[in-house]
Amino acid sequence: MKKFVTTLVVIFVVFIIFVMLGPFYVLNEGEQAVVTRFGKIIKVETAAGLKIKTPMVDHVVKFSKRILSWDGDAQRIPTKENQFIWVDTTARWKITDPAKFYASVTTLQQAYSRLDDVIDSSVRTVISDSPLAEAVRSTNLIKQSEHKEAIQIKADDSASKSMEELLKKTSSTALFDEIKLGREGLSKEMLTAAQKVTPEYGIQLIDIVIRQIRYSDDLTQSVYNRMIKEREQIAEFYRSFGEGKKAEWLGKLDNEKRSILSAAYEKSETLKGNADAIATKIYADAYSKDENFFEFWRSIESYKKTFPNFNKTLSTKMDYFKYLYNPNGK
Amino acid sequence: MSERDITPQKQFNFKPKLMVIVIVVIALLVLVLSSFFVVDQTEQSVVLTFGKYNRIVGPGLHFKLPLGIEKSYNVPTQRIQNMSFGFRTEKAGINTVFSSGNYQNESLMLTGDLNIIDVQWIIQYRITDARAWLFNVQYREKTIRDISQSIINALVGDRAILDVIGRDRASIETKAQEMMNKKFSSYGLGITVTTVKLRNIVPPKGEVQNAFEDVNKAIQDMNRLINEGKEQYNKEIPKAQGDAEKMILVAQGYATERVNEAKGNVSRFLSVLKEYEKNKKVTKDRLYIETMEKVFATNRGTDLIGKNLTNFIPLKTLQKGAVK
Repeated sequence: MKKFVTTLVVIFVVFIIFVMLGPFYVLNEGEQAVVTRFGKIIKVETAAGLKIKTPMVDHVVKFSKRILSWDGDAQRIPTKENQFIWVDTTARWKITDPAKFYASVTTLQQAYSRLDDVIDSSVRTVISDSPLAEAVRSTNLIKQSEHKEAIQIKADDSASKSMEELLKKTSSTALFDEIKLGREGLSKEMLTAAQKVTPEYGIQLIDIVIRQIRYSDDLTQSVYNRMIKEREQIAEFYRSFGEGKKAEWLGKLDNEKRSILSAAYEKSETLKGNADAIATKIYADAYSKDENFFEFWRSIESYKKTFPNFNKTLSTKMDYFKYLYNPNGK
Repeated sequence: MSERDITPQKQFNFKPKLMVIVIVVIALLVLVLSSFFVVDQTEQSVVLTFGKYNRIVGPGLHFKLPLGIEKSYNVPTQRIQNMSFGFRTEKAGINTVFSSGNYQNESLMLTGDLNIIDVQWIIQYRITDARAWLFNVQYREKTIRDISQSIINALVGDRAILDVIGRDRASIETKAQEMMNKKFSSYGLGITVTTVKLRNIVPPKGEVQNAFEDVNKAIQDMNRLINEGKEQYNKEIPKAQGDAEKMILVAQGYATERVNEAKGNVSRFLSVLKEYEKNKKVTKDRLYIETMEKVFATNRGTDLIGKNLTNFIPLKTLQKGAVK
């Protein structure tokens, strides 16, 4: 019995030692390995699973098979028109040839520093060779439409229309440059430039993308100032347009008021004149029947109305008083 | 169970048979315990046999080969994951607290008309392929962040600042989602972006923002001024129309009056004329005397001068001057 136990223990210990020496190794999904024997690459493993090696002499170096990221520092680069911008790029890459990778760069750290050189320089070359607009924009979309506040003057279509026409005079749609490549095109150029070198390291660059583009700090302030001025300019426009419209309404008011009142005046005077004419005709027709009597009649009618207003000093010479001195009226 | 086994071991210290049993039992326990694993309802688990992909299992209790022969990796495939750019949520809740930190290095970008704008956004994604998620890309979070940033940057860079703030907002969101999904699937990242939402899109803080706000104020001012003009118009024109109407009506009244008066006067005259013609002298005298009577009867204070006192008039005038 004791012997059995001893055997068991011995077998166990030998097994442990055997395993520890490592004839097996596990290659996980997403990994690949280079097996070297005395420094020389003898095998490249890319499929996952349980693998065998010669214990003691074989050395296994594992690399990631997954897509890796590269993220460099943002670079301050002048564009073609010599404006300094910060360009922040990232890239994705993977190790496609582990043997070459092991031979040429060996470690990830090394690989990153190579990629820094390659990518930075290709980014720099491409950016400094293109106008700013190419790096910022991707398409010519911006040229297709106008860009303005989405406002309209309530219940006043004609005002909205005239405002738009005025705005067009100062809008800057036409000023946008035509772009040929755009941001994506530049990224591709960078990638092509960098890809010329990377296969030497057993690396495949998958893409280079521009993560962010910023103005350099001194430029930022002047851009801010420009933005402010641009806004102020448009704000002034709206205010002035409002003033103009108000004046227009006041003018319209004055105009309409005058025309309404004068038309009414004209009509009323005409009415009065017509009536006067009719009255005159009526009087003339009647009074002409006996002019003497009319004169007498109209005079005494008039005396009745006007006499009370006079300060009177009368003489008895009047016909009225002719019987005052004499019953015969003389 | 093991405690019960250990207790006799202490009493019979040197019995090898027991030792073996104990070792075997412990070994078995370890084996059993390490061969089960639990997968949560929100997860899937990827099982590798000697590092090689073997199977994917759903929620529940599962068996795997122990001693590291099979390994399981749980992946939360049902959970929607959130990632924010340009801001961070510090504490989500009824009143969500946002971190006051400055993330402008993420959110400041250039627009197509070369202005600067501050854009904050979030993306939500779900892991749709657990195997791809685990083994295809190394720095997954970073990759998602990088790509999301670059795509939003590119889309904003393609549009004018006013469009980014205004009407193109929704189209940027849908376009970004589409582009991100395309990019991620080209990497085999195993995720699907379910939402891209733009949050605050504002001009850079400070003076620039004030200038932008001033435009909004100017628009309000403009509408106010126009309304003021209209107000004045509305205040006066209806009244003027009323005044005009009045003027015409008054004139009409005058006209009617004038004609009627004429007719009245004439008719009276004609009547009298008719009688006058029958006896001219008498009628005329009567009318004259009646009129004089009426005129003199109603007025006091009339001076009457005899017809021979021809010098009286200047005297009276003198008297008046003396009284003054």
